[in-house]
Amino acid sequence: MSYALYAKRIGLFLASLLFLAYVLAPVLWLVSSSLQREANITSVPPHWIPHPLTLSSYRAIFTAGDPSASTDDNASFVPSTAQYLLPALRNSLIVAFAVVVLNLIVSVPAAYAMAKIRYIGRDLSVYFMLATRVIPDIALVVPFFLFIRKLGLLDNLGALIITYLAITVPFSVFMLLNYFESLPDELDKAARVDGCSRLQTLLRVFLPLALPSLVAVILFTFLASWNEFLFALMFTQTPASQTIPIIVASFTSDFTTSFSFINAAGVLAIVPPVIIAVLFERYIVSGLTAGAVKG
Amino acid sequence: MSTVENRGLDRRRFLLQLSAAAGLASVGMTGLVRSARAAQPINFYAWSAGVDTVKRELAAFQKESGLTVNYNNLPYAQYREAMVTKFVGQAPIDMLWVSDAWLPEWADAGWLAPIDAYPRLMAYNADVVDFCTESTRYKGHQYGMTYYTDYMGFFYDADKLAKAGIAAPPTTWDELVAQSLKIKAAGLSDYPLMVSMARESWLIEFMSAMVFSHGGRFVDDNGHAVMDDPTHGAVAALQWLTDAVNKHKILSPACVELGELNGMKAVASGNHAFALLPRYRIEALNDPQQSHVAGHIKQALIPAGPKGSQTTVAWMRMHAMSASAGQDKQRGANAARLIEAFGGKFDGQYAFQKAMFLDTGTAFGVKPLFKDPEIRAAYEKYGDFAMFEKQQEQARRKDVIARWFGDWDEVNGTAWQSALLGRSSVADALKHSAQSWTSLSKQA
Amino acid sequence: MSTIQAPGIGRRWLAKHSVNASDQRSALLLLSPMMAVLFAVAVFPILYSLWISLFDVKLTRPRSAPFVGLGNYTQAFADPLFWTSVERTLVFTVMSVSAIMVIATLMALLLNQEFRGRRLLSTVLLIPWAIPYVVDGLMWKWIYDSGYGALNGALLQLHFIDKYVVWLGDTAKTLPLIANAFVWKEVPLATILLLVTLKSVPTDLYGAARVDGANLWGRFVHVTLPSLRPGFMLVIIYEAMMAVRHFDLFFLLTEGGPANASNVLAWHIYVETFRNLSFGSGAAIAYLLALATFAMSYVVIRTVGNRI
Repeated sequence: MSYALYAKRIGLFLASLLFLAYVLAPVLWLVSSSLQREANITSVPPHWIPHPLTLSSYRAIFTAGDPSASTDDNASFVPSTAQYLLPALRNSLIVAFAVVVLNLIVSVPAAYAMAKIRYIGRDLSVYFMLATRVIPDIALVVPFFLFIRKLGLLDNLGALIITYLAITVPFSVFMLLNYFESLPDELDKAARVDGCSRLQTLLRVFLPLALPSLVAVILFTFLASWNEFLFALMFTQTPASQTIPIIVASFTSDFTTSFSFINAAGVLAIVPPVIIAVLFERYIVSGLTAGAVKG
Repeated sequence: MSTVENRGLDRRRFLLQLSAAAGLASVGMTGLVRSARAAQPINFYAWSAGVDTVKRELAAFQKESGLTVNYNNLPYAQYREAMVTKFVGQAPIDMLWVSDAWLPEWADAGWLAPIDAYPRLMAYNADVVDFCTESTRYKGHQYGMTYYTDYMGFFYDADKLAKAGIAAPPTTWDELVAQSLKIKAAGLSDYPLMVSMARESWLIEFMSAMVFSHGGRFVDDNGHAVMDDPTHGAVAALQWLTDAVNKHKILSPACVELGELNGMKAVASGNHAFALLPRYRIEALNDPQQSHVAGHIKQALIPAGPKGSQTTVAWMRMHAMSASAGQDKQRGANAARLIEAFGGKFDGQYAFQKAMFLDTGTAFGVKPLFKDPEIRAAYEKYGDFAMFEKQQEQARRKDVIARWFGDWDEVNGTAWQSALLGRSSVADALKHSAQSWTSLSKQA
Repeated sequence: MSTIQAPGIGRRWLAKHSVNASDQRSALLLLSPMMAVLFAVAVFPILYSLWISLFDVKLTRPRSAPFVGLGNYTQAFADPLFWTSVERTLVFTVMSVSAIMVIATLMALLLNQEFRGRRLLSTVLLIPWAIPYVVDGLMWKWIYDSGYGALNGALLQLHFIDKYVVWLGDTAKTLPLIANAFVWKEVPLATILLLVTLKSVPTDLYGAARVDGANLWGRFVHVTLPSLRPGFMLVIIYEAMMAVRHFDLFFLLTEGGPANASNVLAWHIYVETFRNLSFGSGAAIAYLLALATFAMSYVVIRTVGNRI
């Protein structure tokens, strides 16, 4: 092996280590902290590897709110809002699912139209759609809040679903648009010659071909809904409608608190999105880059 | 198009419509389900203190009265913001806890109903400490019954003092500096004093304790800002704190990011020799299950400033009724029953207050309980009852309670932090604070 | 082909733009759900918020909301805290975007190489992106904790410090620390965007450069960097827009403190709206932020875009 090649391999190896350390170290510390006993977690300097290792924080999450569950001394610091963690998980799932479904229904036809149909106002509609996302979310909170209040949907998952739909649709359309544009126009013409209407062409010809992009849209929309914080903070007022990010945030300011518990809650909150991202990594990358790579 | 394809298309269209309907239905369904359950229960909002005790007392109340109660609790540090959002959002609220500082703001906004109309509740005033009853009154009406009252206590770790060869806790803030330096030199603590200076609901209490013990005030009896007055204002207190951080280094600069809760945990970990904390925290501090220094923490009278006295700040929190409940005869009556059960007598005794005290150490506002032997015995396990009463006699209520308190609190808290961090002089910080008070008070 | 059924004038106008009527109809039909959603939930709130910003609306004074015209705006400009938050926002944005550009470029260059384990790296890269800002905030807050944090612990064990140091509570360090938490979570997306741009560089460009005698550094400067320009522009614009409006980390880590050290515009708007309960002035400041964002993206597109 030549010196240059050897040096390059060492260099790549070191760079990879640095890369992995930068990305993984904070997360590994999160996991490690979640497995420590409360008494140990406050040691100076910290125990990097939990010793002794304990699952009591996780157990506390699943048994929170159950008065018959035995409490060991590690769990006596469990914040009172802990019992809402699992319902919040359910709320997050419901909202994410609804937003994904509605997103597809709204975005796919629009993206197809923008990509494949010549119509007046096409450029304008693309710019308009993108422009709605230039306004910062914080600027929309007040009108949204008053609007949702008028609809009587405050503290209702519906408020979140509508809001998240509005903020995810532009990006979904944009992604699908890029992908549809990269599909040949001949398919479209062929289907139309066969007598299909625009909608039928979309459903029967383009949709199956756009599967990677659809998966990417589903992933992005799911993650955006799951992780959203500001609007959930504003619109949800009781555990009946609060999503994971809100409940996790509430732990830090509760009457009693446990560092290991907060870390455990954090780990639980990231498991679904991380699993999804890792499993569907290929689609995420291709969804972002659809149409960008030519040849 | 062939009929087979047609059917396929129809099926697809049907599925699309179905999922759309499902999405919309899930929105509507959650609303429906909730309204079916809500056959006039009492919507009770509290912060998350003594949750288990509250649940127990609520169970007893529901059994005896036949009413259902929806108990919601939120973290205290965010309670004001969360409740304001709920009021504005017209969330159904019947009974709620209110802190004395927010009473003018919420009463003026029309969110609370006076309880003057309920003579059964008013009758209990005779048994209540005067300071508490006064704190429930605003513009001639009474808005609640005392849930609990307490004050900012001064605590010291007897063990650390003994190890440093100090015979008795300090009686003045200057003495505290000397003792802290001794403790620091003995290697017993890097920052012997713990005072929480993070921007949260507790900050005003910590600041007021410092100001009052230095003999100063934020605002005079006429409501005019005097905080920037060098002799009667907050200058001495803020200057002492700033010196503690920057000159003597007995108070950590991290105090501006340390909230009350984490401050308590830090003391419980044995990091500090002196602390300002709400008095009821002594129960947790001397509990072996929650504290490394259990048994060592004692309460002493708050040290005095050069021109001050050993006076601390006292606060009270109340059970109140929402305006919307007050307007509905049935809801109002139900809420009043809950208020009476918690704020007054239930089953012939002050059950709620006693239970809260025995379980969490939070004090009560009703005079008879001070003489209750069970209460005294329980307290003696971890605290000095005589000291409890002694400091209580030298506690005064906050002088900044006004409708614009919330706005001013933001500005004032930030100003104090600026001074502590050396980003602004003490005089400038308090002048800024005083100007804010004056301009806010002028706005109608 | 379908027959044209539009009325006379419309048909001529459409035909002039070589658009047939049935296409126009289909397009509008397919677009209608999206337009409905965007109008109802984006356009309407934007206009409504503009309307509110012209009044003095205080939630604690629900019975009166006088019209003040541009009063909220002039009041904002006269408020020193407003300018402080503008400055904090700019500092945060510049710090974050610069760091993201550097780190993402390095990562993209690494991932562009062929080596065993590259798939692992690109999969792992998605973890910070997938994590919600809430957990990102709590995680870093715990790491930065002055009393028990891992940062203090690690530095102590490595003997870089001999005593635990104050991190978030030190006003000089507050913004960079928050920026670090922000950058850590934004780098994956930036890396992917840059990587895609890198991959679209035709390899014969490198070949030609090598033939011309360029070494590794020369190839980097003369082939890689110029080809990355469009990617750079996209990442700079996108990340700058994200940084300027970011709220979550400021809420979780420092609540704008201490002493306004991290009081960015998004936080200032939140305080004004939901703590001071002044919806009118809050909406006005939010509008100023929106205008600034528009202006900023316009400026960036023009300057950086012109250099492509």
